[in-house]
Amino acid sequence: MTFNNDSQIAVVGGSIAAVTAADALRLEGFDGRIQVISDEKVAPYTRIPLSKGLLAGKETVASTDLPPLGDDIEMRLGVRATGLHLEKRVLDTTDGPVGFDGLVIASGARARRLTTDGEREFVIRNRDDALRLRVALATAETVVVVGGGFLGMEVAATARSLGRCVTVVDREPALQRLLGVELSGFVRRQAETEGVHVAVEPGGVRFDSNASSPAVVLHDGRRLEADLVVTAVGDIANVEWLAGSGLATGDGVLVDERCFAAPGIVAAGDVAAFPRSGGPHRRLPNWTNAIEQARAASRALLLGDEAPPYAPTPYTFTEQFGLDVKLVGPPPPAGESVVMEGDLDSGSALLRWCGDASDPSAPTHVAAVNHHLAPARLKRLLRTA
Amino acid sequence: MTALIALMPDGRRVLADTDKCEGHGLCESVAPEVYALDDDAVVYLTTETISPENVRRAEAGARACPVAALRIEATD
Repeated sequence: MTFNNDSQIAVVGGSIAAVTAADALRLEGFDGRIQVISDEKVAPYTRIPLSKGLLAGKETVASTDLPPLGDDIEMRLGVRATGLHLEKRVLDTTDGPVGFDGLVIASGARARRLTTDGEREFVIRNRDDALRLRVALATAETVVVVGGGFLGMEVAATARSLGRCVTVVDREPALQRLLGVELSGFVRRQAETEGVHVAVEPGGVRFDSNASSPAVVLHDGRRLEADLVVTAVGDIANVEWLAGSGLATGDGVLVDERCFAAPGIVAAGDVAAFPRSGGPHRRLPNWTNAIEQARAASRALLLGDEAPPYAPTPYTFTEQFGLDVKLVGPPPPAGESVVMEGDLDSGSALLRWCGDASDPSAPTHVAAVNHHLAPARLKRLLRTA
Repeated sequence: MTALIALMPDGRRVLADTDKCEGHGLCESVAPEVYALDDDAVVYLTTETISPENVRRAEAGARACPVAALRIEATD
């Protein structure tokens, strides 16, 4: 498919993948019309501080705003895409039909919830979620966080820094799925040192929001009562609006290695399920992927098969309990690490994992913990250890 | 805040808050013409004046910062 300056490209979404895609189209030389259709009423912002600085009240709302797009890109805020007609090349939206020649789907994901109680079950996905939780935290004494991934543990760390009594509960030891046994254990010990109770409940929990005080009910019937319950149990791709469109969806919009969902239609960011060898398509819901995939998808939309296939960089990071953790390699690292510099007990370390312990020349993961090394150099360590 | 500054041709300014920078390096990968990380993985600006052809890239690099350590400040 070739585009010219009479062509129109629509971008559905309003977060970092959507704005990166729109901007990348211009950087790649597309000079037709670009419309970004975002169901958020506010201009794009970064979600990274929502569980940290913004929640703690250390950062302002304005400080989370992303630098605005150029005025050669139309931002249509508060407009929700509700349907897609592949043949006619038209989107249905809450503000009428939008025709397109090319389409970028970056409709993101939303928080998975345990209940339908939007009042008592707090989540963090949008900026308003974070601001509502910030207000509630101001008067809460006890907080239970369900979900021990990055988001749940970041919320726990922030709540603890505000002096709240905090429990985190998950089916597995917190962070283990992401950081592996060794490194997650280190971070959990730090959390416990700071006074957070980190509980494992293999049978899962139920959230009883009907009781006078909200409570998380454990498998054996015990109740963890709290002034405030926050759930951080994953996200759900926003694909419902594509039902009946003919696009292949499952847990996300299924794309090929150039991020195409169909001719002239690409997907990027949290909503896109990317193929991988030896397994089903998988979403890569993190900031780095949102940016890199959006750039790759835009390039592919304009260049087709001449664009390079997208190669995700497995890079994730978290900041919690005074620890800044950067991990290169697909989570989680397995087995024992080798310390390359520093040591964990002193609070700063550079760690390396080898999938095959007998072959240290083939590292699979590198992590920096409170260790100032740029990710590009971490990635190089992975290649040339 | 400790801010580094580069001037855009239209009078706007790129501000890099080195206290806020966490060294994720996405700015550098998006816009190496404008941003780089030093040996301590802290951002610096490679130029004091952004050339016209790099304006959009400078904006894109600022937008890529997950912790909003990079801002584009409008003229007064």
